[in-house]
Amino acid sequence: MDLTGIVYLAGVGIAYAVFWRRSPERSKKALSAGTSSFKGMLPTFIAVFGLVGLFDVFIPPALIERWMGSSSGALSLLVGTGLGTVAAGPPAAAYPIAATLLKNGAWAPAVAAFIVSWILVGFISLPMESKIFGARFAILRNGLSMIAAAVIGLLMGVVL
Amino acid sequence: MASSPAPIKHSLAETLKPYRLVFAVAALYAVAAFSSPAQAYEAASVAVKTFAGVAPIVIAVFAALGLMQVFVDKQAMARHLGERAGLPALLLAAAAGTILVGPVFVIFPLLKSMRDHGTSLSIITTTLTAWAVKLTMVPLEAGFLGWKFSIARMVLTLSAAVVMGPLMGRLMRNESRADICKTEPKVA
Repeated sequence: MDLTGIVYLAGVGIAYAVFWRRSPERSKKALSAGTSSFKGMLPTFIAVFGLVGLFDVFIPPALIERWMGSSSGALSLLVGTGLGTVAAGPPAAAYPIAATLLKNGAWAPAVAAFIVSWILVGFISLPMESKIFGARFAILRNGLSMIAAAVIGLLMGVVL
Repeated sequence: MASSPAPIKHSLAETLKPYRLVFAVAALYAVAAFSSPAQAYEAASVAVKTFAGVAPIVIAVFAALGLMQVFVDKQAMARHLGERAGLPALLLAAAAGTILVGPVFVIFPLLKSMRDHGTSLSIITTTLTAWAVKLTMVPLEAGFLGWKFSIARMVLTLSAAVVMGPLMGRLMRNESRADICKTEPKVA
């Protein structure tokens, strides 16, 4: 079994124990809030893990290397950022896909850019953001976030 | 009229709606199973193994999500952020964004209420960008991509949040003028 999972599970268990002593009702509420978000995310999880399996077996690594490999440099970074921008979904779904990309020869900075733009840039939420803060803000913020995703990706390449 | 069976049909469609993607993936598996059964089986076993590998983290992530949702007082946090300025405010906003949990349709209205209370666009941008850290998800990310990757991304996202706030503030200068006037008398 994976150690990270067990440590994290134990940590959250302790946190619940502490909060339970403070306020059992609110802890129960927290537990049911967690359960309902999990239920809401379950279909996405099933689909994403299913996709990861298909991806792993059917997409040739050569294809990933060509578009997102380290030898493609700037193109990889652009593809990673672009994929993250158009993809919609919870961040939890981005990680398994990113891991598959990485395993099959994608460049780490491109994968990092993919994750950051997945979370930070939202095509789907653009109308909502424009309505609340104005189109200028929404477009500028999403544009800057795309640049930030690419820069973060590049810096990750230096760190890793 | 056909009004009575209609709601039932509607609710069935509603129940199945979240599973659209699942059906699409299942269809892909069906095609794969027909054309190359061995590979389809391998794909399914990769899927199950991947999920089994992270199942404990997934459970912990959602339990932590619940705790954050209930015990972090979003409204109080928003009020607190609105009253401050300068670098300490940016750092505070970055910290606040980090512990914020919730989907877009919860976060944006919260940010809107911050804006309505006079919070600057810099602070809002920093909070929103730091929200991308997804603190509760970090162990899940580490499970898939390694701790080094996860921590590096977290630190860089936070740095980006602190840089992007003032940058957006400058770019939106004209629109923020009204707020500057609103907060100025307080300083004097």
